[in-house]
Amino acid sequence: MDKLGQEWVSAAVDGEVDNNTLAELANDIDSHEKWRDYQIIGDAMRNELPSVLNIDLSMSIAEAIAQEPCHHMADVKTEQIDRNVSAANQSSKQQSKVVPLFKQFGQYAIAASVALVVVVSVDNYNQSNTVDTSPLSVLNTRPLVGSVSPVSLQTGSMQQSSASASKNDQVADQRLRINAYIQDHQLQQRLNSDMNIDDNSQTEAIQSQ
Amino acid sequence: MSSILNRVNVRILGLALLAMMFPALAQDEVSAKAWLENMSQALHEKEYKISVIQLQAEHISPLVYIHGKVDAKEVAFLEYLNGPPQSAVRVDNTVSFIEYKQAPYSVNAKRIPGVLPAGFAGDISRLESGYQFVLGGRSRLAGRPSQLVRLIPKDDFRFGYQIWLDMETALPLRYDLMTKDKQLLEQLLVVELLVLDKAPAILIEAKKQEWPAVVVQAQSTKKTQWDFSWLPQGFRVQTNDQHRLMGNNETVEYIALSDGLANISVYISKVGDSPLPEGLVTRNGLGLSAEVVGNVEVVAVGKVPTETLTRIAKSVVIK
Repeated sequence: MDKLGQEWVSAAVDGEVDNNTLAELANDIDSHEKWRDYQIIGDAMRNELPSVLNIDLSMSIAEAIAQEPCHHMADVKTEQIDRNVSAANQSSKQQSKVVPLFKQFGQYAIAASVALVVVVSVDNYNQSNTVDTSPLSVLNTRPLVGSVSPVSLQTGSMQQSSASASKNDQVADQRLRINAYIQDHQLQQRLNSDMNIDDNSQTEAIQSQ
Repeated sequence: MSSILNRVNVRILGLALLAMMFPALAQDEVSAKAWLENMSQALHEKEYKISVIQLQAEHISPLVYIHGKVDAKEVAFLEYLNGPPQSAVRVDNTVSFIEYKQAPYSVNAKRIPGVLPAGFAGDISRLESGYQFVLGGRSRLAGRPSQLVRLIPKDDFRFGYQIWLDMETALPLRYDLMTKDKQLLEQLLVVELLVLDKAPAILIEAKKQEWPAVVVQAQSTKKTQWDFSWLPQGFRVQTNDQHRLMGNNETVEYIALSDGLANISVYISKVGDSPLPEGLVTRNGLGLSAEVVGNVEVVAVGKVPTETLTRIAKSVVIK
């Protein structure tokens, strides 16, 4: 399935799909690695780099996700005896070819490329508890895929922290959490697009087990 | 005698004017919805290729979307043209994502997400509780005459849409997502529409391919104890489950809300170590709002005004 890649796609778009080129292109793994570098070089030449470039962060997150062994599809197949499988299968009676990827309380393994917003810097926190007078502060963000999309943060009454070290920790942790939520929301748009939006019951859906 | 005749004439004239005006008004209302219904149908029925520019804040992405029918099944193909390769294929109700540095995977879905809002191709009546449909003027887009239809939010809890539809096919040629103050959040601009008379080779090829098996979420066996004391008109619970967030491994109760166009994710978890901002908004309108309710933290994320998110987060109650 790995060979089923972008190359098939771009060749197919150009109407050049034939088995030889398909195999040839699919084997050229090196070019995958180059993609990112070329993109960044290109961005730099066009002066489109964000003011803070934090490639390593987004890459390391993606890689950490990718390396989580027990959450890979291939490995999940071996966990089919899991108790939750019966529930999963029940939910998809008509699907015979189903991989139970998510256990209850499971972690999504497939989100690495869902537009990951990496918040690079948060500044202009309120220094006092007075009414927020600062303009919207701008966060630099770098999605994993695609280019930069800035985020503005309306700082509400942010808790004060006297020690700057602990404040930095807090800010880093906050960024991580913001990203986790935004990324999960994006992922849910893919996973739940199948939901029945003609369901008339507002609370029934919650109550059902 | 002549004065009576005059009066009668005036009355007849008045009636004639009324008769001319009212059907026109009624027709307008019907046809704005009819246009949208034609669009929804066209998105499923027609065979076409559109080249699109997608704008989100300063972020521009060109993409190609091809749709057709192969063996009576809908097949669609989406490819982003810039940056690392990223594409998606839909065969009937299965969407497979093919992305840079990642094993392809499939999910059950009726639409490929990310191009047009799923609500455009769904049941238009579903949108009526949150939006008013109004016909606008005509203009030329992608070299074709088009009709503008506005989806005006009935309250301040969601953003509005303007959709330009191809006069001939009713396929969308452009849409704008805007705030109440007409600030543009997101725009999709078709630069070329090709109406095809048969499915192109790539879709036939895609139908033949064997795509990865569909991944499925295990049904949550635990009953959620959370409910909403208030939701904006038209918003309903779509689904709920429990899962962990990637990145920080936090366990959350998840509830998905939708009004047919705007989707909101609500997360309930134990209060975190670091406070989240009360309101955060990206330039493309995606917002996040966090509220501490009792001993839990409620986080709402979605492309709606942050005030809506805050109010929804505050409305979470224990059943």
